[in-house]
Amino acid sequence: MRAENYIPPNVIPKPLRKMAPLLKKRWLRKLILLPSTISGKRFSNKTEDYGVFKPSMISNLDQISLYVRDIEKSRKWYEDLAGMTHSRTCEKEPHPIKEGFQIKCCYMNAKDHEECVVFIEEYDLEGNVIIPSGMSFFHFALEVEGNSMEDVFAFAEQANSRGFEQNYGPVRHNDSIPHGDGETGGNVAVYFYDPDYNNVEFCGGMDTIDNYKERAKQMKK
Amino acid sequence: MNREVVKFQHHVFYVTDLKRSKDFYMDLFDLQFSALNHPDSSAAMKLAKQEMHFFSFGHYHHDICLVKHHELKMDNESLLHYTMEVADAHDFDHILQKSKKEKIQLKEGRMLKSAKFEKGWKAFCIQDPDHHWIEIIHKPSRN
Repeated sequence: MRAENYIPPNVIPKPLRKMAPLLKKRWLRKLILLPSTISGKRFSNKTEDYGVFKPSMISNLDQISLYVRDIEKSRKWYEDLAGMTHSRTCEKEPHPIKEGFQIKCCYMNAKDHEECVVFIEEYDLEGNVIIPSGMSFFHFALEVEGNSMEDVFAFAEQANSRGFEQNYGPVRHNDSIPHGDGETGGNVAVYFYDPDYNNVEFCGGMDTIDNYKERAKQMKK
Repeated sequence: MNREVVKFQHHVFYVTDLKRSKDFYMDLFDLQFSALNHPDSSAAMKLAKQEMHFFSFGHYHHDICLVKHHELKMDNESLLHYTMEVADAHDFDHILQKSKKEKIQLKEGRMLKSAKFEKGWKAFCIQDPDHHWIEIIHKPSRN
């Protein structure tokens, strides 16, 4: 059993969070990758290098369930920071996989996505809430209304004004100046840890197939 | 103006063997590989000692992303499930049949007893190579 004040080992320590904005400096990224450049191992991570895409059989993500220590605490966090709304909290039900365990589910809505996030309190055989390890996923992302760079920056400012502190961002995940951090996808992103240290990205303006196909065409010209 | 979120857009989770997971997701769901962030291509990955493989459903640059952490051991039971929606009923049946044929661990219906299950909806759950539970759902009324 993990202690109440448990912090997962993959959580970025606070001093490092303060230094993270330096990744927006192209010279620093080049310096970090210098050994790979010198050894000839360095390669591009541009999407244009990975060919043409077509639709898959999956249309969209529909739901994610998160183990939490305290449904009410999580609910308040997602309502206050992200404007999510409560759909319903259910009575305890049997755990779908672990025999004898129980779960309690709280379903949350985003503005255009019904019950897309579920908070789950997990109870062991003695009826104690299990403290989640937070070590299964890197982050999940919720799209900010408006879906533009300006909207994500405004969202980050709003969050700060409400007392929330991000662990990274806002940045743009590409090579653009001044907000690019050299990463991939083109999305503008700001990240916050929820009360259980789940890393939540708030994003907008991600590249789509159409715009990177267009860029690939321009690169060929 | 109050800024809020509109939808669950992408999901990034840890796997133990990128090649094995990449094959699984591309083969079963026809996901499109859209990018690779590696310690030899990305400063952030170099610092974080991680490697990320991005996959698209066909519109956004990425919808799911698989991550290998080269130092930390992950706990794949710390996420109960996530759900992917299939718009086309034939595709839903194809994924179901293929999962059965390949003897992938499968559970009929929705993962959570309390989850909505309206008339005409179809759902089943399978486990990926790292035992993450994936719920596959088809909601004909929405398409």
